Amino acid sequence: RMEASCLELALEGERLCKAGDCRAGVSFFEAAVQVGTEDLKTLSAIYSQLGNAYFYLHEYAKALEYHHHDLTLARTIGDLLGEAKASGNLGNTLKVLGNFEEAIVCCQRHLDISRELNDKVGEARALYNLGNVYHSKGKNVASAGTHDPGELPDDVKNALQKAANYYEENLTLVTELGDRAAQGRAFGNLGNTHYLLGNFRSAVLAHEQRLLIAKEFGDHSAERRAYSNLGNAHVFLGEFQTASEYYKKTLQLARQLQDRAVEAQACYSLGNTYTLLQDYEKAIDYHLKHLVIAQELHDRIGEGRACWSLGNAYTALGNHDQAMHFAERHLEISREVGDRSGELTARLNLSDLQMVLGLSYSTNNSMMAESQVADTSWNGTRPRVGRRHSMENMELMKLTPEKVQNWN
Amino acid sequence: PQPLAGHQAAELQSKVVPSKQILHSDNMEMEPETMETKSVTDYFSKLHMGSLVYSCTSKRKNK
Repeated sequence: RMEASCLELALEGERLCKAGDCRAGVSFFEAAVQVGTEDLKTLSAIYSQLGNAYFYLHEYAKALEYHHHDLTLARTIGDLLGEAKASGNLGNTLKVLGNFEEAIVCCQRHLDISRELNDKVGEARALYNLGNVYHSKGKNVASAGTHDPGELPDDVKNALQKAANYYEENLTLVTELGDRAAQGRAFGNLGNTHYLLGNFRSAVLAHEQRLLIAKEFGDHSAERRAYSNLGNAHVFLGEFQTASEYYKKTLQLARQLQDRAVEAQACYSLGNTYTLLQDYEKAIDYHLKHLVIAQELHDRIGEGRACWSLGNAYTALGNHDQAMHFAERHLEISREVGDRSGELTARLNLSDLQMVLGLSYSTNNSMMAESQVADTSWNGTRPRVGRRHSMENMELMKLTPEKVQNWN
Repeated sequence: PQPLAGHQAAELQSKVVPSKQILHSDNMEMEPETMETKSVTDYFSKLHMGSLVYSCTSKRKNK
């Protein structure tokens, strides 16, 4: 009777997870574990599904715990296929937690067993997982510094090159197997790896393949991802017009899918692209759209970015009053979210704008306006002496001439 | 001071964009992870299948 009860609970858990309600599924699986079973293969399946449910719920510590239980159990009962699966899941979880070295060991185990069992599907999936771990590892190290894609230290480059190799190997295998969905995933992540490596032409080729497959499946989310990634790659190729076309398609799909966060990102990307095209009116239009959604979603960091971008665009148009308004908001938000470099940038922008505004005010014999502007924007936190110091820093912020040439 | 202000404004304009900061904001969109799945139903149905096959064969044998 108890045996049936554990099974019944687990079956309900499976049904709920399949229906997309992982939270409720977890309760049933945990109840099933509470009841317990003598049958270790059933228990292994419950642990595995609990791990996956927690993974999808982004509770990675719990996911780790259950996938680890599953691995131990699979080894105990000598279930080699079960061990391979548990290793793969453990590897994916360790990757998300940033433990790349252990993740690699687990994913490699998944690969080794799959090859031993001549399980081609398992082998392909393990190769994809390994690619993902090396990609994350590379991206993680890269994001610690401030590099543009393509300007990478050796360890980052090595990790990303390994990722690319695993994705290529996966692609060969899933092409043999005729698994188009898996091909789509591999092309997408391969494209992103080439992007980080600075191989923007290869990135475009891969994302174009991804787009093709997404359309075959009518997978709008994947289609939107491909457009967005194609936009990013074209920005780095200096083909801003093409980039803007792809970002517009991203925006269109984001609206269709009613995903406000993605819509905001698309508007932001479009704002930046029109800035690069020096069409500041359009840039302002999109940055304002981004600002509205950021406020709606209570995304203070996004709001700060929008203000910074708007300040820049208004400065470019010579609308210094609006520029000042947004630079002040940028400063306020940077302080609030504790963004030190944002705060410095905002101060520098304000100090520059004050210079311009102050000088134009003084030509109008309005000396009062000059001192007022200066006083309110410093909020009394810094005396006038600080200004010279920030102006010196300003020189450091200037772009190197070759950069300007590249992006103009 | 007018030409100086104009010069300042022009210089300010040249400092705007394109900046590295802009490009870093672009979100890279990754494909989803694939997790390996196990199911109690697989095992359960195998068990049932086993007994079903058994009952069928035993019925046949009985006939």
